[in-house]
Amino acid sequence: MIGFVLRRLAAAAPTLIAVLTVVFLIVRVIPGDPALVILGDQATPEAVAALHTKLGIDRPIWEQYLSFLTRSLSGDFGTSLVTGRPIVGEVAAVLPHTIDLTLAAMLIGVVIGVPVGIWAALHRNRAIDVAARLLSLIGLSFPVFVSGVFLLLAFALHWKVFPVIGNARLDDLPDRVHKLILPAITLGLVMSAYVTRVTRSAMLGVLAEDYIRTAQSKGIAWSRVVWRHGLRNALIPVVTVVGLYVGILIGNSVLTEIVFNRPGLGKIIVGALNQRDYTMLQGLMVIYCFLIVVVNLITDLTYGLIDPRVNQS
Amino acid sequence: MKLWTALLATAIAVAPAHAQPKTALSVGIAAQDIGRLDPHFAVTTIDRVVVAWMFNGLVRFKPGSINPTEIEPDLAERWESSADGKTWTFHLRHGVKFHGDFGELTADDVVFSLKKAAQAASSAFSADFRAFDTVEAVDPYTVRIVLKENVPSLLGLLTNYSGGFIISKKAYEQKGDAFVRSPIGTGPFAFDSVTPNQSLELVAHEGYFRGAPQIKRISYRFIPSDASRDLAYQNGELDLNYGRADQTWVNRTRQVPNTVVDVFEPGELATISFNTTMKPLDDIRVRQAVSLAINRPEMVRWRGQDVSREGQSLVPRGYLGFTADNGLLPNDINRAKALLAEAGYPNGLTIKMIHTQLPEMLSAIQVVQAQLRRAGITLDLQVVEHATFHQQIRQDLSPMVYYSAARFPVADIYLTQFWHSRSTVKTGASPVTNFSHCDVADAEIDAARVETDSAKQLALWAEAQKKLIANACGVPLIETLLVFARRDNLDYGYELKGSMSLGPLITEQTRFR
Repeated sequence: MIGFVLRRLAAAAPTLIAVLTVVFLIVRVIPGDPALVILGDQATPEAVAALHTKLGIDRPIWEQYLSFLTRSLSGDFGTSLVTGRPIVGEVAAVLPHTIDLTLAAMLIGVVIGVPVGIWAALHRNRAIDVAARLLSLIGLSFPVFVSGVFLLLAFALHWKVFPVIGNARLDDLPDRVHKLILPAITLGLVMSAYVTRVTRSAMLGVLAEDYIRTAQSKGIAWSRVVWRHGLRNALIPVVTVVGLYVGILIGNSVLTEIVFNRPGLGKIIVGALNQRDYTMLQGLMVIYCFLIVVVNLITDLTYGLIDPRVNQS
Repeated sequence: MKLWTALLATAIAVAPAHAQPKTALSVGIAAQDIGRLDPHFAVTTIDRVVVAWMFNGLVRFKPGSINPTEIEPDLAERWESSADGKTWTFHLRHGVKFHGDFGELTADDVVFSLKKAAQAASSAFSADFRAFDTVEAVDPYTVRIVLKENVPSLLGLLTNYSGGFIISKKAYEQKGDAFVRSPIGTGPFAFDSVTPNQSLELVAHEGYFRGAPQIKRISYRFIPSDASRDLAYQNGELDLNYGRADQTWVNRTRQVPNTVVDVFEPGELATISFNTTMKPLDDIRVRQAVSLAINRPEMVRWRGQDVSREGQSLVPRGYLGFTADNGLLPNDINRAKALLAEAGYPNGLTIKMIHTQLPEMLSAIQVVQAQLRRAGITLDLQVVEHATFHQQIRQDLSPMVYYSAARFPVADIYLTQFWHSRSTVKTGASPVTNFSHCDVADAEIDAARVETDSAKQLALWAEAQKKLIANACGVPLIETLLVFARRDNLDYGYELKGSMSLGPLITEQTRFR
């Protein structure tokens, strides 16, 4: 198991370097100049040139690339071009918020999505199934900036249960949980819609298999057939979707973060992109990549837990 | 009985506490995060608003005013200038304390700050100090500034605005790169902490030279989404909210209980510059046709009567040197069509324009696009992301450029940056934002800058505006004012008519009633 994990991490290294290279190049190829963002619209060319030198972005591109690679590998991501604050500190400040939201949304997505999916599959084409499909379609179609604002109107302005500004104090657990609830529900419901659909179709596929009929004909209780023979086999695609979705949640929760005024990785990524904050983007991408690698690893390990046939050696 | 007595006792104990006015101010601003907290790099609205609470200049605009004739003492208690206007001596106030334990302000701090502000490597406003020759400390409380040539408003450069802010020399040298993360000034509020993407926290500077501020804490919250910022304000989580210059927003926000909507100067003048070297706009008839097709009253109706007004010149209204008597063409579709026909476009024409996707700027140009269509002019908008837009227009890639800006309220700066050939993008000696390539008013702009007779100076600026408009270098559209909403018990301590920091000044007198 440990050997498996280490091998997977080693295999991720080339991916990481490739992503770093692409990010490094892309942020420099797109038009826009961080110096103009920093100096504003009255900047003179002398000021722009002086700032380029100060920021080190006037050096040859390969030189910048080499120093970026060597520094990244030693864990030093430098400081943000725009705010001058250290990148590691910026990310460390928001990462707990992103992880909280991702895990909470995943939990809601799975806890609602899997049972509803199974239930719908067992009642195929009956009212329950139609309702589940319809609700999941609505869940998928509602953008966060609509559903989030509705939730705020109801729970913050009308019932005053939650605040609109959702930036929680990390050292205050009740506050942290309190401010997590609305955003987690917003994201979790969308995710549960995906999970419901995947679970339903996977379950339908499995239930049509011969071994289910065999198990039934052996007189095993239906609940046990569904639970042991059905669900276990149907879970592999569900785990895949959950794994992929968690990857998306980490970086793409930006709309939720904006609507609920939460700090988070997605918001920082978008901000850095708008401001052409090269160093910040690079640092964020390394961390984002690393998180994705970890999520994929956990997904693979979960396969093994569900299905011993998945060979880990 | 006992219970009642206890409750009564509690009520009496609690009542005075409730009667205490609030001292913590929560401000919502439309931004992702603060930039560098070095005042000489504060170029965005979000940065400008807050550095004005933390720093002072040698002189300041009277709080609530942007009138250059109302400049009053700040760190300097008095000053005098030589007969030729080139040597200025400033006498500093005694006993001005920096934030923290950075001691008393002396002439060294002032000299250091002004020199820093004048250098391209350490300031975004270095170009403003072009006329400075020397800045020196005569004694710990006296600073002498010698100019190479006259400037229209030396005091303007030394106000609590842009490069005029004074920082602590000791703090800057001691903190090095960390200064931008924890700056030290003399203002009523001191830096406390910043949480990325969330907020900047300030605390009262108890040793402030005008007296301890009545507000004790300010939480400056970064909330980019207009909808959630408004909701947070409505929910009482914000006391002061950055507003949208939009009539619907103003009307809606006025309905919120206990709310005052402040609309104030400076107005940002939106203009369209025509690239006079590029076809088809190298033909003055085409430029005039576009100018004639613009319907300013309609644009004001679209943006809102309370928050906008017609642009009347290529310099914003109210700036020293502005004139409305400049021959600006009124809206006249038939004349526009006739001019186009005369120029060889009887069936109209298509003009390319690079523009930003920033919503409020995009919607403005869509209004222009609709107006031009009435005259047979098709505006082919190439919409790009905002940072790209700023770079591409400076690469001289767009035949027409929409630009909206406020500057120091003296005509010289606006005229120089937008309409002097020195500032022409790509080809100028010091390119800034002249997208028109016009040089027709260079002589007047240059002469006015060093003219010491104010009547002659005003006449030169007026002549410059007439020439620029006669040559159709550009066309003014509308001016948009600043809008903030606040609780009606928040008293600024002055009447807010304008603010060069683009947001309400929070002074030592600002308080909750």
